[in-house]
Amino acid sequence: MMQEKNTKLRDRVSKGWPPATENEPAFDAVWLAARQRHATLRRRYQRFAGVAAMVAAAFIVLYAQSPSQKTYIEVADLMESTYWTAPSDVLLPRREFDIYQDMPAMFESTEPAGGTLL
Amino acid sequence: MRDSDALDNNPHVSRSALEAIHSQVYGWAFSRCDFDHANAEDLMQQAYVELLSGNARFDNKSSLKTFVFSVVQNLARSRFRRLSSRLRLVKKYHAEAVETSAELHEPRANDDVWRAVRALPARQRDIIELVFCRELTVEEAASVMGVSTGTGRVHYDRAKKALRQRLRHWADEE
Repeated sequence: MMQEKNTKLRDRVSKGWPPATENEPAFDAVWLAARQRHATLRRRYQRFAGVAAMVAAAFIVLYAQSPSQKTYIEVADLMESTYWTAPSDVLLPRREFDIYQDMPAMFESTEPAGGTLL
Repeated sequence: MRDSDALDNNPHVSRSALEAIHSQVYGWAFSRCDFDHANAEDLMQQAYVELLSGNARFDNKSSLKTFVFSVVQNLARSRFRRLSSRLRLVKKYHAEAVETSAELHEPRANDDVWRAVRALPARQRDIIELVFCRELTVEEAASVMGVSTGTGRVHYDRAKKALRQRLRHWADEE
């Protein structure tokens, strides 16, 4: 019963569905166009890959020379190119009074109070 | 095993196998493009290019028909996304131009069955098309749609119920 209802509905829907066959393009035509598109894409990709390889090669030739190449440097040039400054204590913490290290200078008292010096 | 006309980048796909399912794939592409023949043909070409280039690689895990249907579905989806973002931009600056240029290809708009199908939510409509018109099983249809078999079954059952109700309702009205 259920199966029959399903079949009926399926038939109605498949018959009512808009047919695509009226203007359906032939397989050969679509296939040929797809192959052409694929070939064009591949050619474009190959061209791009070729240009990228040439740019990379040019970059290597121009900029990436071997690091082991030795050149002579004048000592005077070398000295002028460097400088030295004494280390500064600007960044060190501010020095504070340390009761254990620094004894305060005590004034000697001359005024007696109750038989003893203050 | 490799067919004589197998594709270089897709050894499990042959030209003759694609030719055998061409009509059904075209029907699917046709409905993906809102029943516009030119767009459907372009979509088919793009799907074949994906197969030729090996971007869409068939590994014999499902039937070729299911696989090609999935390729068409994915291409149509990404194309729709691209178009809708462009359309949003155009709408932002030229709202009236879009209103006049948007043309809906609505075949057989007066047919009862077609009206009932069009009224279904998109996923239900898709599964009904795949099962009833493209002769896939519910499992295959679910895999084309990118949902689990269980979800596919739910959409299928709900779609059938809704279709029956609508068709009965309209028959009673007449």
